[in-house]
Amino acid sequence: MAQVTLYHWEPNANSGKPMLALMEKGVPFTSHYIDMLQFDQHKSEYLAINPQGTIPAMTHSGPWGDRVLTESTAIMEYVDSAFPGPQLMPADARGRWRVRWWMKFMDQWLGPSFSMIGWSVFVGPRVRERDPGELAAAIERIPLPERRIAWRKAISGDFSESEMAESRRRVALGIAKLEEELGKRNYVGSDAYSLADINVFNSTYSLPLSQPDLASKEKTPNIMRWLKRVYEREAVRRTWAMGKTDISARYNLVMEGIV
Amino acid sequence: MVQAVLYHGEPNGASLTVLAALAECGLAIPCKPIDLLTGARHVLPGIAEPIALDLGIEGEGPVLVVDGEAMTESVFLAQYLDEMAGGCGLQPSDPYARWDMLMWCRQITERLSPAAALLGNLAHSQGVIAAIPAGAFAALMASIVSDDLRTRWQTLHDGAIDAGQVADSQAKVDQAVQRCEDKLADGREWLMGGFSIADLVTCSWLGGMEQVRPEAFASAPLTRAWLARVAARPCFLAARAMASTSEPSRTWAPGPEINRWG
Repeated sequence: MAQVTLYHWEPNANSGKPMLALMEKGVPFTSHYIDMLQFDQHKSEYLAINPQGTIPAMTHSGPWGDRVLTESTAIMEYVDSAFPGPQLMPADARGRWRVRWWMKFMDQWLGPSFSMIGWSVFVGPRVRERDPGELAAAIERIPLPERRIAWRKAISGDFSESEMAESRRRVALGIAKLEEELGKRNYVGSDAYSLADINVFNSTYSLPLSQPDLASKEKTPNIMRWLKRVYEREAVRRTWAMGKTDISARYNLVMEGIV
Repeated sequence: MVQAVLYHGEPNGASLTVLAALAECGLAIPCKPIDLLTGARHVLPGIAEPIALDLGIEGEGPVLVVDGEAMTESVFLAQYLDEMAGGCGLQPSDPYARWDMLMWCRQITERLSPAAALLGNLAHSQGVIAAIPAGAFAALMASIVSDDLRTRWQTLHDGAIDAGQVADSQAKVDQAVQRCEDKLADGREWLMGGFSIADLVTCSWLGGMEQVRPEAFASAPLTRAWLARVAARPCFLAARAMASTSEPSRTWAPGPEINRWG
Protein backbone atom coordinates (compact mmCIF):
# COMPACT_ATOMS: atom_id res chain seq x y z
CA MET A 1 0.00 0.00 0.00
CA ALA A 2 1.56 3.26 -1.12
CA GLN A 3 1.76 6.00 1.46
CA VAL A 4 2.34 9.72 1.07
CA THR A 5 3.69 11.97 3.80
CA LEU A 6 3.98 15.70 3.27
CA TYR A 7 6.29 17.83 5.37
CA HIS A 8 4.97 21.37 5.16
CA TRP A 9 4.43 24.68 6.91
CA GLU A 10 1.30 26.80 6.47
CA PRO A 11 -0.93 26.46 3.36
CA ASN A 12 1.01 29.35 1.90
CA ALA A 13 3.72 30.04 -0.70
CA ASN A 14 5.79 26.90 -1.36
CA SER A 15 4.23 24.63 1.28
CA GLY A 16 0.75 25.33 -0.01
CA LYS A 17 1.55 24.07 -3.52
CA PRO A 18 1.82 20.31 -2.90
CA MET A 19 -0.89 20.52 -0.22
CA LEU A 20 -3.34 21.89 -2.76
CA ALA A 21 -2.21 19.56 -5.55
CA LEU A 22 -2.70 16.49 -3.33
CA MET A 23 -6.10 17.78 -2.20
CA GLU A 24 -7.23 18.43 -5.80
CA LYS A 25 -6.16 14.94 -6.85
CA GLY A 26 -7.86 13.37 -3.85
CA VAL A 27 -4.64 11.72 -2.67
CA PRO A 28 -4.72 10.85 1.04
CA PHE A 29 -1.59 11.98 2.83
CA THR A 30 -0.10 12.19 6.29
CA SER A 31 0.49 15.80 7.22
CA HIS A 32 3.69 16.57 9.10
CA TYR A 33 3.66 20.22 10.16
CA ILE A 34 7.07 21.90 10.13
CA ASP A 35 7.04 25.16 12.05
CA MET A 36 9.27 27.40 9.97
CA LEU A 37 9.29 30.12 12.61
CA GLN A 38 10.69 27.62 15.12
CA PHE A 39 13.33 26.52 12.55
CA ASP A 40 11.94 22.95 12.57
CA GLN A 41 13.20 22.61 8.99
CA HIS A 42 16.81 22.81 10.14
CA LYS A 43 16.53 20.28 12.96
CA SER A 44 18.11 16.88 12.65
CA GLU A 45 14.78 15.03 12.45
CA TYR A 46 13.84 16.92 9.30
CA LEU A 47 17.34 17.04 7.83
CA ALA A 48 17.22 13.25 7.87
CA ILE A 49 14.33 13.57 5.37
CA ASN A 50 15.65 16.51 3.35
CA PRO A 51 19.32 17.29 4.00
CA GLN A 52 18.95 20.67 2.27
CA GLY A 53 16.56 21.82 5.00
CA THR A 54 14.02 23.33 2.61
CA ILE A 55 10.28 22.89 2.90
CA PRO A 56 8.14 21.31 1.62
CA ALA A 57 9.30 17.73 1.10
CA MET A 58 7.21 14.68 0.31
CA THR A 59 7.85 10.99 0.77
CA HIS A 60 6.06 8.43 -1.34
CA SER A 61 6.57 4.92 -0.02
CA GLY A 62 5.56 1.71 -1.75
CA PRO A 63 6.95 -1.44 -3.35
CA TRP A 64 9.71 0.73 -4.84
CA GLY A 65 10.92 1.80 -1.38
CA ASP A 66 10.92 5.35 -0.03
CA ARG A 67 11.00 8.15 -2.55
CA VAL A 68 11.86 11.60 -1.21
CA LEU A 69 10.76 14.51 -3.35
CA THR A 70 11.69 18.16 -2.89
CA GLU A 71 11.02 21.52 -4.61
CA SER A 72 7.39 22.49 -4.46
CA THR A 73 6.66 22.97 -8.17
CA ALA A 74 8.44 19.76 -9.15
CA ILE A 75 6.53 17.88 -6.41
CA MET A 76 3.27 19.16 -7.88
CA GLU A 77 4.20 17.87 -11.33
CA TYR A 78 5.02 14.50 -9.79
CA VAL A 79 1.72 14.40 -7.91
CA ASP A 80 -0.22 15.21 -11.05
CA SER A 81 1.40 12.48 -13.12
CA ALA A 82 1.83 9.77 -10.45
CA PHE A 83 -1.73 9.68 -9.12
CA PRO A 84 -5.17 9.27 -10.66
CA GLY A 85 -7.71 12.05 -10.34
CA PRO A 86 -8.43 15.25 -12.22
CA GLN A 87 -5.67 16.31 -14.63
CA LEU A 88 -3.92 19.44 -13.43
CA MET A 89 -1.96 20.04 -16.64
CA PRO A 90 -3.54 21.06 -19.96
CA ALA A 91 -4.12 18.34 -22.54
CA ASP A 92 -2.29 20.21 -25.30
CA ALA A 93 1.48 20.71 -25.49
CA ARG A 94 1.34 24.49 -25.91
CA GLY A 95 -0.94 24.78 -22.89
CA ARG A 96 1.54 22.71 -20.86
CA TRP A 97 4.39 24.95 -22.05
CA ARG A 98 2.41 28.01 -20.94
CA VAL A 99 1.70 26.53 -17.52
CA ARG A 100 5.41 25.71 -17.06
CA TRP A 101 6.38 29.21 -18.20
CA TRP A 102 4.11 30.89 -15.67
CA MET A 103 5.31 28.64 -12.88
CA LYS A 104 8.95 29.50 -13.63
CA PHE A 105 8.07 33.19 -13.88
CA MET A 106 6.51 32.93 -10.43
CA ASP A 107 9.18 30.69 -8.87
CA GLN A 108 12.21 32.59 -10.10
CA TRP A 109 11.17 36.16 -10.86
CA LEU A 110 7.99 37.31 -9.18
CA GLY A 111 7.81 34.93 -6.20
CA PRO A 112 11.18 35.92 -4.72
CA SER A 113 10.02 39.56 -4.73
CA PHE A 114 6.79 38.68 -2.92
CA SER A 115 8.95 36.65 -0.57
CA MET A 116 11.43 39.44 0.13
CA ILE A 117 8.61 41.80 1.05
CA GLY A 118 6.87 39.10 3.12
CA TRP A 119 10.02 38.23 5.00
CA SER A 120 10.84 41.85 5.71
CA VAL A 121 7.39 42.62 7.16
CA PHE A 122 6.34 39.24 8.59
CA VAL A 123 8.99 36.55 9.07
CA GLY A 124 11.82 38.85 10.19
CA PRO A 125 9.87 40.71 12.89
CA ARG A 126 8.34 37.43 14.16
CA VAL A 127 11.67 35.70 14.76
CA ARG A 128 13.63 38.84 15.70
CA GLU A 129 12.03 38.84 19.14
CA ARG A 130 13.86 35.64 20.04
CA ASP A 131 17.14 35.30 21.94
CA PRO A 132 20.03 36.47 19.67
CA GLY A 133 22.27 33.56 20.68
CA GLU A 134 19.54 31.07 19.89
CA LEU A 135 18.96 32.73 16.50
CA ALA A 136 22.66 32.70 15.64
CA ALA A 137 22.84 28.99 16.45
CA ALA A 138 19.73 28.34 14.38
CA ILE A 139 21.23 30.13 11.38
CA GLU A 140 24.45 28.13 11.67
CA ARG A 141 22.43 24.92 11.31
CA ILE A 142 21.05 25.96 7.89
CA PRO A 143 22.65 23.68 5.28
CA LEU A 144 22.36 25.88 2.16
CA PRO A 145 24.58 28.99 2.14
CA GLU A 146 22.00 30.97 0.13
CA ARG A 147 19.38 30.26 2.76
CA ARG A 148 21.77 31.27 5.56
CA ILE A 149 22.21 34.64 3.84
CA ALA A 150 18.45 34.95 3.33
CA TRP A 151 17.68 34.22 6.98
CA ARG A 152 20.38 36.61 8.23
CA LYS A 153 18.90 39.36 6.09
CA ALA A 154 15.36 38.64 7.22
CA ILE A 155 16.27 38.53 10.90
CA SER A 156 18.40 41.65 10.86
CA GLY A 157 16.06 43.52 8.53
CA ASP A 158 19.08 44.03 6.31
CA PHE A 159 17.33 44.58 2.98
CA SER A 160 18.71 47.58 1.13
CA GLU A 161 16.33 50.21 -0.17
CA SER A 162 17.34 49.37 -3.75
CA GLU A 163 16.58 45.67 -3.18
CA MET A 164 13.17 46.48 -1.74
CA ALA A 165 12.46 48.98 -4.52
CA GLU A 166 13.30 46.35 -7.14
CA SER A 167 11.01 43.86 -5.41
CA ARG A 168 8.20 46.41 -5.32
CA ARG A 169 8.74 47.14 -9.02
CA ARG A 170 8.52 43.45 -9.87
CA VAL A 171 5.42 42.93 -7.76
CA ALA A 172 3.64 45.84 -9.47
CA LEU A 173 4.66 44.64 -12.94
CA GLY A 174 3.85 41.02 -12.15
CA ILE A 175 0.36 41.94 -10.91
CA ALA A 176 -0.24 43.97 -14.07
CA LYS A 177 0.88 41.06 -16.28
CA LEU A 178 -1.25 38.59 -14.33
CA GLU A 179 -4.24 40.89 -14.79
CA GLU A 180 -3.59 40.91 -18.55
CA GLU A 181 -3.23 37.14 -18.65
CA LEU A 182 -6.48 36.55 -16.78
CA GLY A 183 -8.22 38.82 -19.25
CA LYS A 184 -7.29 36.36 -22.01
CA ARG A 185 -8.04 33.08 -20.28
CA ASN A 186 -10.14 31.95 -17.33
CA TYR A 187 -7.10 30.56 -15.54
CA VAL A 188 -3.34 31.17 -15.60
CA GLY A 189 -2.05 30.02 -18.98
CA SER A 190 -5.08 27.87 -19.66
CA ASP A 191 -8.88 27.82 -19.77
CA ALA A 192 -8.93 25.04 -17.19
CA TYR A 193 -7.67 25.03 -13.59
CA SER A 194 -4.07 23.79 -13.50
CA LEU A 195 -0.85 23.63 -11.49
CA ALA A 196 -0.12 27.21 -12.61
CA ASP A 197 -3.20 28.41 -10.74
CA ILE A 198 -2.13 26.55 -7.61
CA ASN A 199 1.37 27.95 -7.93
CA VAL A 200 0.36 31.56 -8.51
CA PHE A 201 -2.54 31.46 -6.04
CA ASN A 202 -0.24 30.49 -3.17
CA SER A 203 1.67 33.75 -3.54
CA THR A 204 -1.23 36.01 -4.51
CA TYR A 205 -4.20 34.87 -2.41
CA SER A 206 -3.90 37.83 -0.06
CA LEU A 207 -3.23 40.55 -2.64
CA PRO A 208 -6.42 42.46 -1.78
CA LEU A 209 -5.07 42.76 1.78
CA SER A 210 -1.33 43.03 1.20
CA GLN A 211 -1.29 45.18 -1.96
CA PRO A 212 -4.59 47.10 -1.95
CA ASP A 213 -3.06 49.90 -4.01
CA LEU A 214 -2.20 47.45 -6.78
CA ALA A 215 -4.93 44.81 -6.58
CA SER A 216 -8.62 45.51 -6.00
CA LYS A 217 -12.01 45.00 -7.56
CA GLU A 218 -11.59 48.31 -9.37
CA LYS A 219 -7.92 48.01 -10.43
CA THR A 220 -7.64 44.27 -11.20
CA PRO A 221 -11.12 42.84 -11.82
CA ASN A 222 -9.75 39.82 -13.70
CA ILE A 223 -7.51 38.83 -10.79
CA MET A 224 -10.36 39.30 -8.34
CA ARG A 225 -12.72 37.10 -10.36
CA TRP A 226 -10.00 34.46 -10.64
CA LEU A 227 -9.21 34.61 -6.90
CA LYS A 228 -12.88 34.12 -6.13
CA ARG A 229 -13.10 31.10 -8.43
CA VAL A 230 -10.04 29.55 -6.79
CA TYR A 231 -11.12 30.41 -3.25
CA GLU A 232 -14.42 28.66 -3.83
CA ARG A 233 -12.80 25.34 -4.70
CA GLU A 234 -13.44 22.61 -2.16
CA ALA A 235 -9.76 21.59 -2.16
CA VAL A 236 -8.75 25.14 -1.25
CA ARG A 237 -11.19 25.29 1.68
CA ARG A 238 -10.01 21.94 3.03
CA THR A 239 -6.33 22.87 2.60
CA TRP A 240 -6.75 26.19 4.36
CA ALA A 241 -8.46 24.44 7.25
CA MET A 242 -5.10 22.74 7.89
CA GLY A 243 -3.43 26.05 8.76
CA LYS A 244 -2.34 26.65 12.33
CA THR A 245 -1.55 30.36 12.35
CA ASP A 246 -3.52 33.50 11.65
CA ILE A 247 -2.60 33.18 7.97
CA SER A 248 -5.69 31.00 7.65
CA ALA A 249 -7.84 33.64 9.29
CA ARG A 250 -7.19 35.81 6.25
CA TYR A 251 -9.48 33.56 4.23
CA ASN A 252 -12.66 35.28 5.37
CA LEU A 253 -11.10 38.73 5.24
CA VAL A 254 -9.99 38.25 1.66
CA MET A 255 -13.34 36.82 0.60
CA GLU A 256 -15.07 39.85 2.08
CA GLY A 257 -12.85 42.03 -0.08
CA ILE A 258 -13.49 40.05 -3.23
CA VAL A 259 -17.18 39.30 -3.21
CA MET B 1 -2.69 25.06 -39.87
CA VAL B 2 -0.21 26.01 -37.15
CA GLN B 3 2.35 28.63 -38.16
CA ALA B 4 5.64 28.11 -36.33
CA VAL B 5 9.17 29.47 -36.66
CA LEU B 6 12.17 29.07 -34.35
CA TYR B 7 14.39 32.14 -34.00
CA HIS B 8 17.76 31.15 -32.58
CA GLY B 9 21.27 32.38 -31.93
CA GLU B 10 24.48 30.50 -32.65
CA PRO B 11 24.28 26.87 -31.41
CA ASN B 12 25.54 27.46 -27.86
CA GLY B 13 23.78 27.76 -24.52
CA ALA B 14 19.99 27.95 -24.68
CA SER B 15 19.86 28.05 -28.48
CA LEU B 16 21.92 24.85 -28.70
CA THR B 17 19.54 23.02 -26.34
CA VAL B 18 16.51 23.82 -28.47
CA LEU B 19 18.17 23.26 -31.85
CA ALA B 20 19.41 19.85 -30.68
CA ALA B 21 15.98 18.98 -29.26
CA LEU B 22 14.40 19.92 -32.57
CA ALA B 23 16.85 17.72 -34.46
CA GLU B 24 16.27 14.83 -32.04
CA CYS B 25 12.49 15.12 -32.45
CA GLY B 26 12.59 15.51 -36.21
CA LEU B 27 9.84 18.11 -36.38
CA ALA B 28 9.69 20.23 -39.53
CA ILE B 29 9.77 23.67 -37.91
CA PRO B 30 11.55 26.36 -39.93
CA CYS B 31 14.57 27.89 -38.19
CA LYS B 32 15.71 31.48 -38.61
CA PRO B 33 19.13 32.45 -37.26
CA ILE B 34 19.32 35.88 -35.63
CA ASP B 35 22.25 37.85 -34.24
CA LEU B 36 21.54 38.05 -30.53
CA LEU B 37 24.31 40.61 -30.01
CA THR B 38 22.54 43.14 -32.22
CA GLY B 39 19.33 42.81 -30.20
CA ALA B 40 17.52 41.13 -33.12
CA ARG B 41 15.52 39.03 -30.64
CA HIS B 42 13.70 42.15 -29.43
CA VAL B 43 12.37 43.26 -32.81
CA LEU B 44 10.90 40.01 -34.11
CA PRO B 45 7.95 40.37 -36.47
CA GLY B 46 4.43 39.06 -36.00
CA ILE B 47 4.37 38.66 -32.21
CA ALA B 48 0.80 38.94 -30.92
CA GLU B 49 1.45 37.49 -27.47
CA PRO B 50 4.86 38.74 -26.29
CA ILE B 51 5.00 38.21 -22.50
CA ALA B 52 7.34 35.21 -22.60
CA LEU B 53 9.68 37.12 -24.90
CA ASP B 54 9.46 40.33 -22.90
CA LEU B 55 9.81 38.86 -19.42
CA GLY B 56 11.52 35.49 -19.95
CA ILE B 57 13.94 34.38 -17.26
CA GLU B 58 16.57 32.95 -19.58
CA GLY B 59 17.80 36.18 -21.16
CA GLU B 60 18.83 36.07 -24.80
CA GLY B 61 17.60 32.54 -25.55
CA PRO B 62 15.77 31.19 -28.60
CA VAL B 63 12.17 32.15 -29.33
CA LEU B 64 9.68 29.75 -30.86
CA VAL B 65 6.77 31.67 -32.34
CA VAL B 66 3.62 29.61 -32.77
CA ASP B 67 0.55 31.35 -34.19
CA GLY B 68 1.90 34.67 -32.96
CA GLU B 69 2.65 33.50 -29.43
CA ALA B 70 6.29 33.90 -28.40
CA MET B 71 7.51 30.85 -26.49
CA THR B 72 10.77 30.90 -24.51
CA GLU B 73 12.82 28.98 -21.89
CA SER B 74 14.93 26.27 -23.48
CA VAL B 75 14.01 23.39 -21.17
CA PHE B 76 10.29 24.01 -21.65
CA LEU B 77 10.76 24.37 -25.41
CA ALA B 78 12.59 21.03 -25.46
CA GLN B 79 9.68 19.49 -23.52
CA TYR B 80 7.22 21.08 -25.96
CA LEU B 81 9.08 19.72 -29.00
CA ASP B 82 9.32 16.26 -27.43
CA GLU B 83 5.59 16.26 -26.70
CA MET B 84 4.63 17.64 -30.13
CA ALA B 85 6.58 14.76 -31.65
CA GLY B 86 4.51 12.33 -29.60
CA GLY B 87 7.39 11.65 -27.21
CA CYS B 88 10.76 11.21 -28.88
CA GLY B 89 12.43 9.92 -25.72
CA LEU B 90 13.82 13.17 -24.31
CA GLN B 91 11.67 12.88 -21.16
CA PRO B 92 11.32 9.76 -19.02
CA SER B 93 7.74 8.49 -18.89
CA ASP B 94 8.04 7.34 -15.27
CA PRO B 95 6.86 10.21 -12.98
CA TYR B 96 9.72 9.80 -10.49
CA ALA B 97 12.38 9.64 -13.20
CA ARG B 98 10.84 12.72 -14.79
CA TRP B 99 10.85 14.55 -11.44
CA ASP B 100 14.52 13.63 -11.09
CA MET B 101 15.30 14.96 -14.56
CA LEU B 102 13.38 18.19 -14.02
CA MET B 103 15.16 18.74 -10.71
CA TRP B 104 18.49 18.31 -12.47
CA CYS B 105 17.47 20.71 -15.24
CA ARG B 106 16.33 23.27 -12.68
CA GLN B 107 19.69 23.07 -10.90
CA ILE B 108 21.38 23.69 -14.24
CA THR B 109 19.18 26.58 -15.36
CA GLU B 110 19.16 28.28 -11.95
CA ARG B 111 22.79 27.82 -10.98
CA LEU B 112 24.97 26.90 -13.96
CA SER B 113 23.29 28.90 -16.75
CA PRO B 114 23.61 32.35 -15.14
CA ALA B 115 27.20 31.56 -14.11
CA ALA B 116 28.23 30.24 -17.53
CA ALA B 117 26.54 33.16 -19.28
CA LEU B 118 28.40 35.69 -17.12
CA LEU B 119 31.79 34.02 -17.62
CA GLY B 120 31.17 33.33 -21.31
CA ASN B 121 30.12 36.90 -21.97
CA LEU B 122 33.11 38.27 -20.09
CA ALA B 123 35.48 36.07 -22.08
CA HIS B 124 33.99 36.45 -25.54
CA SER B 125 31.21 39.02 -25.92
CA GLN B 126 31.90 41.95 -23.65
CA GLY B 127 34.23 43.56 -26.17
CA VAL B 128 31.66 43.17 -28.94
CA ILE B 129 28.93 44.73 -26.80
CA ALA B 130 31.19 47.56 -25.65
CA ALA B 131 32.06 48.34 -29.28
CA ILE B 132 28.45 48.85 -30.38
CA PRO B 133 28.18 52.51 -31.48
CA ALA B 134 26.39 54.71 -28.98
CA GLY B 135 23.34 55.36 -31.15
CA ALA B 136 22.87 51.70 -32.00
CA PHE B 137 23.33 50.70 -28.39
CA ALA B 138 20.74 53.22 -27.23
CA ALA B 139 18.28 51.85 -29.80
CA LEU B 140 19.03 48.30 -28.67
CA MET B 141 18.45 49.25 -25.03
CA ALA B 142 15.18 50.92 -25.93
CA SER B 143 13.94 47.76 -27.65
CA ILE B 144 14.38 45.59 -24.53
CA VAL B 145 11.21 45.45 -22.45
CA SER B 146 12.65 43.78 -19.36
CA ASP B 147 14.36 46.24 -17.02
CA ASP B 148 16.53 43.56 -15.46
CA LEU B 149 17.69 42.10 -18.80
CA ARG B 150 18.46 45.63 -19.99
CA THR B 151 20.55 46.12 -16.85
CA ARG B 152 22.57 42.99 -17.65
CA TRP B 153 23.31 44.36 -21.14
CA GLN B 154 24.29 47.72 -19.68
CA THR B 155 26.54 46.15 -17.07
CA LEU B 156 28.42 44.20 -19.74
CA HIS B 157 28.61 47.27 -21.96
CA ASP B 158 30.09 49.32 -19.14
CA GLY B 159 32.37 46.55 -17.90
CA ALA B 160 30.91 47.09 -14.44
CA ILE B 161 31.03 43.45 -13.40
CA ASP B 162 31.02 42.67 -9.70
CA ALA B 163 34.13 40.66 -8.77
CA GLY B 164 32.13 38.71 -6.20
CA GLN B 165 29.72 37.56 -8.90
CA VAL B 166 32.61 36.38 -11.06
CA ALA B 167 34.06 34.33 -8.20
CA ASP B 168 30.62 32.96 -7.38
CA SER B 169 30.07 32.04 -11.03
CA GLN B 170 33.40 30.23 -11.20
CA ALA B 171 32.43 28.28 -8.09
CA LYS B 172 29.07 27.38 -9.62
CA VAL B 173 30.72 26.08 -12.80
CA ASP B 174 33.09 24.01 -10.65
CA GLN B 175 30.12 22.66 -8.68
CA ALA B 176 28.21 21.78 -11.86
CA VAL B 177 31.19 19.81 -13.18
CA GLN B 178 31.47 18.00 -9.85
CA ARG B 179 27.76 17.16 -9.95
CA CYS B 180 28.23 15.65 -13.39
CA GLU B 181 31.30 13.75 -12.26
CA ASP B 182 29.39 12.33 -9.28
CA LYS B 183 26.41 11.41 -11.43
CA LEU B 184 28.57 9.62 -13.99
CA ALA B 185 30.65 7.78 -11.38
CA ASP B 186 28.58 4.60 -11.65
CA GLY B 187 29.57 4.22 -15.28
CA ARG B 188 26.32 5.42 -16.81
CA GLU B 189 26.41 6.70 -20.36
CA TRP B 190 23.98 9.61 -19.90
CA LEU B 191 23.19 11.76 -16.88
CA MET B 192 19.76 10.33 -16.12
CA GLY B 193 20.44 6.86 -17.48
CA GLY B 194 18.76 7.31 -20.85
CA PHE B 195 19.61 10.25 -23.10
CA SER B 196 17.35 13.15 -22.09
CA ILE B 197 16.83 16.90 -21.92
CA ALA B 198 19.21 16.85 -18.92
CA ASP B 199 22.07 15.93 -21.27
CA LEU B 200 21.04 18.58 -23.81
CA VAL B 201 20.74 21.45 -21.37
CA THR B 202 23.82 20.57 -19.30
CA CYS B 203 26.09 20.08 -22.31
CA SER B 204 24.77 23.23 -23.97
CA TRP B 205 25.83 25.41 -21.04
CA LEU B 206 28.86 23.47 -19.83
CA GLY B 207 30.51 22.74 -23.19
CA GLY B 208 31.76 26.30 -23.68
CA MET B 209 33.14 26.38 -20.15
CA GLU B 210 35.93 23.95 -21.07
CA GLN B 211 37.72 26.91 -22.70
CA VAL B 212 36.67 29.56 -20.18
CA ARG B 213 37.17 27.62 -16.95
CA PRO B 214 39.52 24.72 -17.85
CA GLU B 215 40.57 24.15 -14.25
CA ALA B 216 37.03 22.96 -13.46
CA PHE B 217 37.52 20.04 -15.83
CA ALA B 218 41.10 19.14 -14.91
CA SER B 219 40.07 16.32 -12.59
CA ALA B 220 36.82 15.43 -14.29
CA PRO B 221 37.57 12.74 -16.89
CA LEU B 222 34.07 11.29 -16.77
CA THR B 223 32.52 14.68 -17.50
CA ARG B 224 34.92 15.38 -20.36
CA ALA B 225 34.14 11.99 -21.90
CA TRP B 226 30.40 12.54 -21.45
CA LEU B 227 30.62 16.00 -23.08
CA ALA B 228 32.36 14.36 -26.05
CA ARG B 229 29.63 11.70 -26.25
CA VAL B 230 26.86 14.28 -26.26
CA ALA B 231 28.71 16.39 -28.83
CA ALA B 232 28.92 13.34 -31.09
CA ARG B 233 25.18 12.67 -31.00
CA PRO B 234 23.53 13.23 -34.39
CA CYS B 235 21.18 15.84 -32.93
CA PHE B 236 24.11 17.87 -31.59
CA LEU B 237 26.02 17.52 -34.83
CA ALA B 238 22.94 18.74 -36.71
CA ALA B 239 22.57 21.71 -34.34
CA ARG B 240 26.25 22.61 -34.54
CA ALA B 241 26.08 22.40 -38.34
CA MET B 242 23.74 25.40 -38.22
CA ALA B 243 26.54 27.62 -36.88
CA SER B 244 27.70 30.55 -38.93
CA THR B 245 31.00 30.76 -37.05
CA SER B 246 33.76 28.19 -36.73
CA GLU B 247 33.59 28.19 -32.91
CA PRO B 248 29.98 28.65 -31.79
CA SER B 249 30.86 27.67 -28.22
CA ARG B 250 32.60 31.07 -27.98
CA THR B 251 29.37 32.87 -28.84
CA TRP B 252 27.50 34.28 -25.86
CA ALA B 253 24.84 36.89 -25.19
CA PRO B 254 23.43 38.23 -21.90
CA GLY B 255 21.86 35.29 -20.12
CA PRO B 256 19.76 34.53 -17.07
CA GLU B 257 19.82 36.67 -13.95
CA ILE B 258 22.02 35.61 -11.07
CA ASN B 259 19.81 34.63 -8.14
CA ARG B 260 19.00 37.83 -6.23
CA TRP B 261 17.26 36.39 -3.17
CA GLY B 262 17.53 33.12 -1.30
